[in-house]
Amino acid sequence: MSGCGAVVGGVSLDNVDISNQAVIQGVISSGNVPASVGYARLLDRNDEFVAEVPISKQGEFRFFTVAGDWTVVALVPGANSRTQVQATIGKVLDVDISLTE
Amino acid sequence: MSNQALVDADWALAHLDDAKVVFVEVDEDTEAYAGNHIKNAIALNWKTDLQDPVRRDFVNKEQFEALLSAKGIANDDTVVLYGGNNNWFAAYAYWYFKLYGHGDVRLLDGGRKKWELDGRELVSEVPSRAATKYVAKEQDRSIRAFRDDVLKAIGTQNLVDVRSPDEYAGRLLAPAHLPQEAARIGGHIPTAANIPWSKAANEDGSFKSIDELKALYESAGVDLKKDTIAYCRIGERSAHSWFVLHELLGVKNVSNYDGSWTEYGSLVGVPVAVGDEPGDA
Repeated sequence: MSGCGAVVGGVSLDNVDISNQAVIQGVISSGNVPASVGYARLLDRNDEFVAEVPISKQGEFRFFTVAGDWTVVALVPGANSRTQVQATIGKVLDVDISLTE
Repeated sequence: MSNQALVDADWALAHLDDAKVVFVEVDEDTEAYAGNHIKNAIALNWKTDLQDPVRRDFVNKEQFEALLSAKGIANDDTVVLYGGNNNWFAAYAYWYFKLYGHGDVRLLDGGRKKWELDGRELVSEVPSRAATKYVAKEQDRSIRAFRDDVLKAIGTQNLVDVRSPDEYAGRLLAPAHLPQEAARIGGHIPTAANIPWSKAANEDGSFKSIDELKALYESAGVDLKKDTIAYCRIGERSAHSWFVLHELLGVKNVSNYDGSWTEYGSLVGVPVAVGDEPGDA
């Protein structure tokens, strides 16, 4: 059993069977460069919190979920944004988010 | 929010160099503390420091005493906990310190996330603290629930599932920052109300106001005169909700089921409900 800790940037896809889950991943940029401090938050179709990860130094994040409509909230110092996405089982969805501070 | 159990950044900044105030960052991911942390803070690892290395249980009283002694924490120190994941693991550690009877323990509102988003200073220097002779109390079982307590509570006492609605309903088996596991079934303990931990927190990880927190539980129809057991997946998000109920709202008859869904969802022969409704006893 693993804990519930959120790994910076999200758990690696290495050794993860994605055939039975939908992966949402991407990069958060601020001022046209990857944000180095911030968080990515995943909300469900009713805007309920589902998960959150600290982004990596390269602005990366990753979530593992099921098919459906989701919202990725980007939080960096002084700015935030919401991006709606549709995830599919067995697929890796890349979502790049650009913020203006 | 004014509460002895909760401190804000201004209070923290005024006490960073106070030798009798020990800031402790608690994460599962040790890279966070190693990268940087609040000045003079030491680290505790949720797993390697606080869990028994063999059995699924906490370190015992003697192990906890040895841990805190080695970390340089004295019985009369004020311990201020903070961490990532919206303070999940810090709240868990807070509950854990209470379990072993530490006198003055507090939580930094918003934890590491609010501190970072507010652009406050983080440092890489690791402080050294002289070893102590810490003496813990016996575990306070009134704030810790086990599976038999949970089974007795079905249909009679409050069960509060603080996971996300999709985990509660059985559509997800873990928070979505983790790969979805297949070893357990999905669902929740019958009659449990779903009051996600996240409803108690603002976007920056700080707690909502006392009035908002009261309204949260009242609107969910939870009769807080009854005993209440909170649970999640492994007991850390429910420690966050335990903190809200027990420490911020002053509800005394609240315990945390640290076995949570990873235990209950693997038990043979126990009732399970799926879907968005609590289900019948």
